[in-house]
Amino acid sequence: MEVIRNFPDSELVANLRFGLRMDETIRAIYRSHFDSLIWYVMNNSGSRQDAEDVFQEVVVAFIDLVQKDKFRGESTVKTFLFSLNRFIWLNELKRRGRALVREEQYEKGQEKVELDTGQLIADREGKAEVVRLVGELGETCRKILLMFYYEDLSMKEILETMHYENEQVVRNKKYKCLKQLEQMVNTNPALKQTLKNLLHG
Amino acid sequence: MDNSTSEMAEKLVRYIDGELTSAEKENLEQQLASDKMLQNKLDSLKSTIKAIKLYGLKSKVSAIHHPMMEEMQAPVRKINPTRKIVRYSLGVAASLILLAGCYIAYNFLTLSPDKVFASRYQSYELVTVRDGNTNETPVEKAYLEKNYKEVLRIHDAGEDHTPKGEFLCGAAALEVKDNSKAIKCFNEVLDANKQNPKPVLNDEAEYYLSLGYIRNKDYDYALPLLTKIQNDPNHIYNKKITDKLIRQVKILKRR
Repeated sequence: MEVIRNFPDSELVANLRFGLRMDETIRAIYRSHFDSLIWYVMNNSGSRQDAEDVFQEVVVAFIDLVQKDKFRGESTVKTFLFSLNRFIWLNELKRRGRALVREEQYEKGQEKVELDTGQLIADREGKAEVVRLVGELGETCRKILLMFYYEDLSMKEILETMHYENEQVVRNKKYKCLKQLEQMVNTNPALKQTLKNLLHG
Repeated sequence: MDNSTSEMAEKLVRYIDGELTSAEKENLEQQLASDKMLQNKLDSLKSTIKAIKLYGLKSKVSAIHHPMMEEMQAPVRKINPTRKIVRYSLGVAASLILLAGCYIAYNFLTLSPDKVFASRYQSYELVTVRDGNTNETPVEKAYLEKNYKEVLRIHDAGEDHTPKGEFLCGAAALEVKDNSKAIKCFNEVLDANKQNPKPVLNDEAEYYLSLGYIRNKDYDYALPLLTKIQNDPNHIYNKKITDKLIRQVKILKRR
C-alpha cells in the first residue's frame, strides 16, 4: 500500500530528473497542485474537463523540461507549474479562436515577471502529432521501443517479456521497428522539424 | 563505406544505444565530423527516439491521470437518476418520520388531563318540553339558566335527590370544575339506577363520570368505565370513546 506523502521541491525534481519512483512522484504532483491549478482554467472559460486535460499536459511538459534540465529551481515548482498551466490554457484558447482580450492583457502585464514558459514548451500541436504518430505504430513495435528507449530495459529483460527466441532476435526486431518509425516521421516534414526542435531545444 | 547502407544505419543505432567499442565509436565520430549526410541520418534516428520517449512519458502520465481524477473527484461522484430518486424519497421519508416524531413528542409532552377532558367534553343540554302542562323543577330551571351554583345549592340543601337531580348536580359540578362533587353525584345516579328497572340518564352519567375521573386524575377509575362504554355498541356515547382517547388516558396514567 502506497504511503501518501508530499515531496519537497528538491526531491521531487531529483526524482523526475533521474527517473526515480516516477509513479509516486507524479501522483504527488497531482495531490499537491491539481486543486490549486484547475481554478485558473475553470475561471477563464474552461470546463472541469478542460482543466483536467490541461493539467495532464502541464505534468508532461514539466517532466520533459526537468529531464532536459530546463527547470533550475529559479522559482518554486508551484510557480513554475502555474506558469505552464496558464500558458497552455491561453494557447489552447487561442487555438480554439476565442482567446480573451482580458487574458491577453493580463499575460502581457505578467511577461516581465513570469518565466518564459511559452518558449520552453513551444509547438504543443506538433508534440501532440508526434504522440499520435507513435500510437499508429504496431503494438509489438511500440512495446519493444518503449521498453528499450523509455523504460531503459535491457535486451535480456525485454526477451523475458516478449517471448522471442533470443536477444539477437529482439535486437533485430527493435532495429526494424525504429526504422519503420523513422520512415513514418520522415514522410511528414513538419513533424520532422518539430522533433528536430525538441531534440535541440 | 556507403553511409546509406543498412549496415551503417545499424551502426548508428548501436552508437546511440552505447553498444560500440571505443575504437568503433572513435572511428564513427570521425566520420560524423566530416560527413554531413551521416550526421543528418544520426539526427533523424535521435529524433525518432525522442518521439518514442515523448510518447512514453505521455502514456505514463495518462495512465496515472485517470485514477488520480477518480481519486480526487470521489466526494462529488455523480449518482444515477434512480439512486437520486431513491435518496430523495428516503430523505422525504426521513423528514416525515422526524416530523411525525416531533408531533408525537409534542403531544406527549403537552398532554394533560384538562386537555383530554376538553377534547371530549360538551356541556350537557337539558331537554325540556314546553307544552304549558309540564313544570320544570327548580333544579332544572336553574340548570337551564346555567345557574350552576344554584343547582349545587339546591342539591346540597337536599331539595332534589332524584336521579335526575343528582345528574344535574354532577353536570353543574363539571361546569364549575368541582370534580369531586361531580364524581359523587354521577355515582349517586349509577347507584340509584342499579335498583331501578328503568334506569334514568345512566349512559349520560357513565360518560360524564368518566370525564370527571380524567380531569380529577383518577385514571384507574376512568379506564374501566371508558372501556365499558367502548365495548357497548348500544351505549349512546359509544362513538365518543375512541382508541386515541383510551391511549391518551393510559399515557397520562403512566406519567
